[in-house]
Amino acid sequence: MKIVSSWLKDFVDVEWTPQQFSDDLTMVGLEVESYEDLAATYDKFVVGKVVSCEKHPKADRLTVCRVDVGSEELQIVCGAPNVAPGQTVPVGLVGATVPHGQHDPDGKPFVLGKVKLRGVDSSGMICSAKELGLGTDGDGIMVLTTDARPGTPLAIALQRNDVVYEIGITPNRPDCLSHLGVAREVAIQTGGEVRRPAITLKESGEPAAKLASIEIRDADLCPRYCGRVLSDVRVIPSPEWLQRRLELAGVRPINAVVDATNYVMFELGHPLHAFDLDRLDGHAIVVRRAGPDAEFTTLDGRSRQLRPDMLMICDRSRPVAIGGVMGGENSEVSETTTRLLIEGAYFLPSNIRRTARTLGLSTEASYRFERGADPEMAKLAVERTAQLIQELTAATVHPGLIDVYPKGMEASRIRFRPRRANEILGTNIEPSAMRSYLGRLGAHVTANGEEELVVVPPSFRVDISEEIDLIEEVARVHGYNNIETQTRSAIDFSIPTAPARVADEARSHLIGAGWREIMAISLQPETVASLGGPAPIKVLNPVSAEMQALRTSMIPGTLDIVRLNLHRGNKDLRLFEIGKVYRRSSENLASVEDVVEEDRLMMAWAGVAAPVAFDRPSREVDLMDLRGEVDALLRRVCLDKYRFLPYRADNTLTESALSLEINGTYGGWFGEVRRDIAKRFEIEVPIFVGEIALPVLEQAWTRDRTFRPLPRFPHVVRDLAFVVERTMPQGDLEDLIRLTAGPLLESLVLFDAYQGAQTGGGRRSLAYSLAFRSPDHTLTDAEVDAHIRAIVDRARSVCGAELRS
Amino acid sequence: MNDRIEQVRAAARAEAASLTNADALERFRLSFLARKGSVADLFDQLRHVTAADKPAVGKALNELRTEVQGIYDGAKEKVDSSAQRTSIDLTLPGRPLFAGSRHLVSQTLEEFQRVFVSMGFDIVEGPEVESDYYNFEALNFPPDHPARDMQDTFFVSPSVLLRTHTTPVQVRIMEKRKPPVRAIMPGRVYRNEAVSARSLVQFHQVDGVYVDKGVTFAELKGTLVAFAKRYYGSSIKYRFRASYFPFTEPSAEMDITCYLCAGKGCRVCKHSGWLEIVGSGMVHPNILKRVGYDPEEVSGYAFGFGVERTVLLRHGIDDIRLLYENDVRFLEQF
Ligand SMILES: [Zn+2]
Repeated sequence: MKIVSSWLKDFVDVEWTPQQFSDDLTMVGLEVESYEDLAATYDKFVVGKVVSCEKHPKADRLTVCRVDVGSEELQIVCGAPNVAPGQTVPVGLVGATVPHGQHDPDGKPFVLGKVKLRGVDSSGMICSAKELGLGTDGDGIMVLTTDARPGTPLAIALQRNDVVYEIGITPNRPDCLSHLGVAREVAIQTGGEVRRPAITLKESGEPAAKLASIEIRDADLCPRYCGRVLSDVRVIPSPEWLQRRLELAGVRPINAVVDATNYVMFELGHPLHAFDLDRLDGHAIVVRRAGPDAEFTTLDGRSRQLRPDMLMICDRSRPVAIGGVMGGENSEVSETTTRLLIEGAYFLPSNIRRTARTLGLSTEASYRFERGADPEMAKLAVERTAQLIQELTAATVHPGLIDVYPKGMEASRIRFRPRRANEILGTNIEPSAMRSYLGRLGAHVTANGEEELVVVPPSFRVDISEEIDLIEEVARVHGYNNIETQTRSAIDFSIPTAPARVADEARSHLIGAGWREIMAISLQPETVASLGGPAPIKVLNPVSAEMQALRTSMIPGTLDIVRLNLHRGNKDLRLFEIGKVYRRSSENLASVEDVVEEDRLMMAWAGVAAPVAFDRPSREVDLMDLRGEVDALLRRVCLDKYRFLPYRADNTLTESALSLEINGTYGGWFGEVRRDIAKRFEIEVPIFVGEIALPVLEQAWTRDRTFRPLPRFPHVVRDLAFVVERTMPQGDLEDLIRLTAGPLLESLVLFDAYQGAQTGGGRRSLAYSLAFRSPDHTLTDAEVDAHIRAIVDRARSVCGAELRS
Repeated sequence: MNDRIEQVRAAARAEAASLTNADALERFRLSFLARKGSVADLFDQLRHVTAADKPAVGKALNELRTEVQGIYDGAKEKVDSSAQRTSIDLTLPGRPLFAGSRHLVSQTLEEFQRVFVSMGFDIVEGPEVESDYYNFEALNFPPDHPARDMQDTFFVSPSVLLRTHTTPVQVRIMEKRKPPVRAIMPGRVYRNEAVSARSLVQFHQVDGVYVDKGVTFAELKGTLVAFAKRYYGSSIKYRFRASYFPFTEPSAEMDITCYLCAGKGCRVCKHSGWLEIVGSGMVHPNILKRVGYDPEEVSGYAFGFGVERTVLLRHGIDDIRLLYENDVRFLEQF
């Protein structure tokens, strides 16, 4: 909402600087987002009177002038042909910044200094309209028609001294969507008086009631409708002062009639509409729901589809306006209009909002009505508009305001307990002070016993309906910063403390292990979200197709991040994310229970297996590298309560994958991204990814661990190398060794896996290091040998594994 | 015999200082400690000593051998280690490891949590795909209320949406617990706004709520000031100004002096000298009633921080999209 300083001063006296004004209004909830001081442009420019002119002794084209600028008489050398004694002129003093440099090709501003022109001193400059940015005339100086005295700041003489404030008005304060409304807030701060415009109408001619009729059929949606009838209207342009104010407020002037309705809206906050009375069938206004009327053309020329419950302003036969939203083409004021019906009404906010949203049509009027207009203002606003049109066009105002207000509006009476206000605020404000604060708001306050007040808020404060609203007002007027801060001891044993979370454990492990945490956007293209699983949850009103569906897996989004990094030359990527994936648990999304949100841990690795070092050849990452990382993470979090299984399901994202079983439950998978999927993301290098379900990990998280005594007897280490068929999985042999060795086998490490000429075609060598230990005695060679023999025998008979010598 | 022992001792001591390289060491070893060296020679002559003197001379000889061996060993250790040192190029780089990093938003969330947990707040979470009821209606945004314009919403069905703030979790936790309730609610939220340097459909909030007997607006101020001083430093200046949220009343915004320009005014603070850091207020009595609390018995305050906004301001990042692009060159800076 734009507030023009001179306009505001019509209603309240205020001497604040723009900065103070901004700060003070911001503090009470009217956030001044920015302001523009138009006068600053003409700082150090004043009105001057040319006293005398003499020819320059050395230059024909120059004139040496004496100019009265109020405080002194200046000698200024002027190059303009039209300068003459007696003229009132704009003078730039030394130090002024001329907005438009005449001699600069780009017209850059320049600062005036004290100069000598061909040997003659010149202190300042008499300016042309072009130099001041006030017109195109640059040939001669600007001669002013003002009767302002010499020395008057030019901004004041030209009425360009406004400050325009941009104020963000929160939805609860529609009463501040006008100059009068802001003036009221200023007056609360300054303790000053608010001047309401005085209405002086010269009524003549036939009574309005004989020329037009107003009938409200749906009073639930329109409790009040006021109308004024004017004739002999001339649809002419508005005077410059009015046009200028509208422009500063951000509205394009159109003609005196339309401008007057806009002007009064920005002045008093009440939206108005002017109908061409002669285009109303039966000269009648009927306020009713649209009913069967299905289509309507608004005055912007667009055809609108109506719904039966939209409130329409109609004449005898048809709708002529969408109530509170926009007028119709069929009753619009045109150049030939001579008779008007001015509407000032009050509409039910929720219905206006529904209508505006359904039509996708938000106007200055609907904006105000949907937030809540002041039903009592409807009348004053119509009178004010009639008065203004009469002033601007010499129109005839017909006697009588037509005011249809069948039920009136009941003012709320609110019980207010000063003690309660102090309890909520943590203050000791005197009840008498509270009473005075509420009085300053325009509320009517009466005592109701010792402890209680009864408060009737002013009709424009539609946001005040209960005690808490008044408590806020008391705090606001008292000043939030005048309330002392307090703290209480934080210790309260009945409040639970935040539990430790496995996500934090996993995160700190991975960061320590050299993984970078990323955060991706949960919304992605539907095609991408579909890669991760079944039909994703879609947003009905996306900002773009790029952000239409919620991710069902974190992998596809990560591939997009990998693509971006690869494109930018970041080749080695070890990324993880802790976040949510989303899927539907039933076909329709009728409630939140139809959605499953699951916390996941995602890991992705591309590039080298280890950072390149001077004596370490670089090698590309492979699946076993990722398996080692997952292993380390799981061992830390849940000891040995997990295992890897070949992933045999038809996974759509990866090939050669492993799935993870944690505590007997499926807990995730990892593998290499399929080439065709990677190509969709323009990724040409191998990339290994995995996802772990954090709830499963959380379940298995072993935090309560019991001490195992450290071994007291030495271990015995034996190495065994087998040659097996290449097709035999290492895991089979490993399982067999563990099973055969029994509980004395403390650890088993595969330290070499080799396949080549020495092993013969189709066979490979697997070398293990086995450590045996007994908890209760030192193992003898004989004991260990017995185990080794058993292992070798079973390996041969079950796996066909030959011992390598 | 004793004289000869002392002679050898003196000779060995005299050479000790010159044992600075392998050659000198070897000569020393040969002349004193080898099988034909002077110490061994003296041991050979022990058999000529009388039986009565033998124990004393033998003891002296052993002491000599220990001392000479000590001179040799000490010198050799020095020579060896210096030889080894000179064979390493000390300017070689270390063999690098992968470096890890924590996402900036995640770092900031943790910092918020750390401070509030230290003040006795619990941490709770709620769903991101939320019902219209919890996101709006329960928080005093009736249908067809203009306050809904403050938060442009993504809908996934007519009654289910992506939450626009973490405030619905306040209602959910109050429904489950009896006062006192004191918790923060971090999480991801969504707004249907055009993508720009300042807005990116999703961001994170940390909401907080405290409901108990006699909780006041003055305490809300005290708590937020305590937070701001811990997070931004104890020298900050602050102000509270009136604002509007449907779910709190009175509502307030807290500003702190812009730390980029120290309050003088700059582009970041839009020349006001102030930065808005948190919206807050007293929990609206209607909400207390809706969760079954008696507003005459208990009162509460609530607040909500925007995490990304804090991150951008604090780290001088001018485009929110950088946070979610996840360019490694960005990630490794934090
Ligand atoms: Zn600043």
